[in-house]
Amino acid sequence: MQYFEDIELNKPRETGSYTLSEAEIIRYAKQFDPQYFHIDPEAAKQSQFGGLIASGWHTAATVMRLMVDAAIDMEASLGSPGLKDLQWLKPVRPGDTLRARITCLEKTASKSRPEIGSAVFLVEAFNQKDELVMRMTNTGIMLRRQPGRI
Amino acid sequence: MKYFEDFTPGDEMTFPPRSVTEEEIIAFAKDFDPQPFHIDREAASRTPYGGIIASGWHTMGMMMRLMVDHVLRDAASMGSPGIDELRWLKPVRPGDVLTLKARTLEAVPSKSRPDRGMVTSEHTFYNQHGEAVAFMRGKTIYGRRPAEA
Repeated sequence: MQYFEDIELNKPRETGSYTLSEAEIIRYAKQFDPQYFHIDPEAAKQSQFGGLIASGWHTAATVMRLMVDAAIDMEASLGSPGLKDLQWLKPVRPGDTLRARITCLEKTASKSRPEIGSAVFLVEAFNQKDELVMRMTNTGIMLRRQPGRI
Repeated sequence: MKYFEDFTPGDEMTFPPRSVTEEEIIAFAKDFDPQPFHIDREAASRTPYGGIIASGWHTMGMMMRLMVDHVLRDAASMGSPGIDELRWLKPVRPGDVLTLKARTLEAVPSKSRPDRGMVTSEHTFYNQHGEAVAFMRGKTIYGRRPAEA
């Protein structure tokens, strides 16, 4: 199991990939983001996007799944207090294949709770053309292998 | 139809409450965030959370759905370039009732595209105890009202 101490700084790690189908894009959006350019392929053609695109939240949720599947720093994870600078840079379209790269930028042992530490991760999501489609900076809370040791 | 011009800094809005079930927490997490404390009661009880909690991404999905149903569906929304800051402040648990409150912070016409502008707003989810559980500050692009013929 990979603990807080085991995370390496500035060493990018790659997830697997996932291809989003039109049906999945519509299914997610009908539940969580039913704007017309996410659920109606015909109407979406008239939008500035020129066709159906995935909800940015669906892209983020897919990236989360890729991170959990790759067990990137997940086993000792206690979740996240939040993130900054989530950017949706390019549309994600049906048939696009997403993959993510995660880089730990900094780690901080908790002063108040010796059994945990926090880590800041740069998360970058790419499509099959290696275009950056989404970026965010997430904080994660992790268990420590050796509580209290700095 | 709400256009860019209809968003005024200082505007506030409270949305109808939204109950969260264990079934939907688990269903979302199995697809998108299958960490043990989101999908397995027994495993979750052994974590500091003491029981199943919603994925933070599920919380944001519930927030977005409310925003679409009550604002964006009848507005000239052109999507969002992103979120400046997002905080998951307290666990969201099965049976919680969440109330969303929104506040418009800023409305800036686009310099490069005269047909649109960018609105910055804050959204906060409160649970039934009045505790803030999730917060985000982000941007939405809205089309400007078409000129009268």
